[in-house]
Amino acid sequence: MVSAKRESLITQMRRGTLEYCVLALLRDQARYGFDLVRTLADADGLITSEGTIYPLLSRLRRDGLVTTTWHESPSGPPRRYYELTPAGHQALELFTTEWDRFTDAVDRLLQQGGSP
Amino acid sequence: MTTTADTLVDHYLRDLEAELRDLPAARQREILAEVGEHITAARAAQDTQSEAAIRTVLERLGDPADIAAEARERFGVQPEPTKPATPWLEVITLVALVVPFLGWLVGAVLVWLSQRWTTRDKLIGTIGGLSWVVAGFGTVVEPAGPGATIALILIVLAFVLPYATAIYLAIRLRARTNTVPATR
Repeated sequence: MVSAKRESLITQMRRGTLEYCVLALLRDQARYGFDLVRTLADADGLITSEGTIYPLLSRLRRDGLVTTTWHESPSGPPRRYYELTPAGHQALELFTTEWDRFTDAVDRLLQQGGSP
Repeated sequence: MTTTADTLVDHYLRDLEAELRDLPAARQREILAEVGEHITAARAAQDTQSEAAIRTVLERLGDPADIAAEARERFGVQPEPTKPATPWLEVITLVALVVPFLGWLVGAVLVWLSQRWTTRDKLIGTIGGLSWVVAGFGTVVEPAGPGATIALILIVLAFVLPYATAIYLAIRLRARTNTVPATR
């Protein structure tokens, strides 16, 4: 029961934040899918099945926040690299600002129960 | 060894393709291609091509159904509604209702067990079948005299009524089965 509740809680928190984690990973460098997904998977609790990132990437691309380009790979066939568009950078900046305010407010409430 | 691994990957991608069927074609192709590239990259990153290693890669990717569910959610696509199941109870009820006497008895019980008809429909079904009794009675007494014609019409009606009732119930069933919202 507790683990089911925990799972559902994490799912809800992940829902709104995962796409910005993806954008954040692409802020300073382009990455290919496998690299991106494994980096996310290594961050504790962010994704349970790696494959579910691909629908999200597809969506980000459709929304114009991410584009893809092909690059040669040192081993194997060329790879599709994902990178941020200017709109992607903007979306990430907006999220970062709002996220700081949001977590500050939540942290204050969690720690002090709302007393000043 | 490599062939087993390739078969596993092929199966996985075929499952994923089937699961993605509700999505726009362009999105299906994109997600399939990218998951395929992921598997290629994962295999290139491993020193071993053993079956166990491939299984781990596919397990980490997750169930194709989960990927498709995520895709439907990200793109706001409703899953294809499942076809409503054939209402066997109701079909048997209808057949029973048009069989004289014993059939009607069975039909009258079954009609009340159904959850697809309203109480009004059920009452009509029960009473409509009851006219078999009138019809049977009519053929036994053999009416004569001045009221004979009217009696004859009533007897014929009594024979027709069960069929009319069954047709009415069938129409009601169709209408209600089609408007029942598909459960997700």
